[in-house]
Amino acid sequence: MSTSIRQPHVYRPGLWRRLADGLGSGYGIGQWSWLLHRVTGMGILLFLVIHIIDTFFVVAYPGLYDDTVGIYGGRLSWITGSDGKPLYVPALRWAFRLSEFGLIACVVFHAINGVRVALVDLWAEGATYQKAMFRIVGVVFLLIMLVTSYFVFVPLLKSPEFWNFPGTH
Amino acid sequence: MARRNLRPSAGFELWWWYFMRVSGLLLVVLALGHLCITHILNNVENINYAFVANRWTNPKTGVIWRLWDLCLINLAVLHGFNGLRQILAEWIESPSRRKLASTLLWIACISLIGAGSYSILNFQKDEKYLREFYDANPELRAENQDLYPVHSAPIVVER
Repeated sequence: MSTSIRQPHVYRPGLWRRLADGLGSGYGIGQWSWLLHRVTGMGILLFLVIHIIDTFFVVAYPGLYDDTVGIYGGRLSWITGSDGKPLYVPALRWAFRLSEFGLIACVVFHAINGVRVALVDLWAEGATYQKAMFRIVGVVFLLIMLVTSYFVFVPLLKSPEFWNFPGTH
Repeated sequence: MARRNLRPSAGFELWWWYFMRVSGLLLVVLALGHLCITHILNNVENINYAFVANRWTNPKTGVIWRLWDLCLINLAVLHGFNGLRQILAEWIESPSRRKLASTLLWIACISLIGAGSYSILNFQKDEKYLREFYDANPELRAENQDLYPVHSAPIVVER
């Protein structure tokens, strides 16, 4: 097996041209790793900002925190349904489950691929095996997500447990 | 033998280059552990104020979880915002706008670290809210009997 090293490609500046250069000119699997790492990273950061704000309610407004995280289960505390209880929207519950699965997928991919990036940078032989390592990343990611999908989607088969929150209203 | 030569040579950017790799490896444990607790070991729908309060104020393990979450929030925000700064540095070509974007990002970053760390360090159990919650949901009180004895005398809230 030859160990010849391809000369680094000089990319044009700017995000869109960088993307077109990387993905368009046959630079292969490493470019997909680069793109997916960025997209998942930005997705996680968006959620992180929301998550810090909702956790701030824990200190300031316990009732508001319970009402807010109640939305995860499709429960809208401030709207009363026909049965006199807070309105339950099953579609919302499913949508949040799907987003939750997407978030976990982003974090798991970013974590495993991040280990690969660190190995490429910090291990002397890392760059030689970067393509093989990306395939390992794919396999490990699929295995973890397969197990995770059981824990994320099976609770949907049961109706949600709703507690009586003292609430903000 | 085949080594990538993308490491910045010195200074501020080199420091961040190392930070991204070291914090990234720590976050693999911290963030995946956090996800495992909130999404695998628990059903995310069952997480509420009482769950967080019991986790952070547990006499034995509360300190550990607060430290875990404090490390997680600080490293994750710095890692995320520095990543975004690097992405924007590729997107924005004008040096003055790049400077403006970086400045705004650092302000947002420091505010979020402040708000997040404040939440974790300053958290105190809202006893009145928890009592109302357990009174409305007696079946949950039984699960947390060590923290909220079923037969304890009711607390009279003075107004």
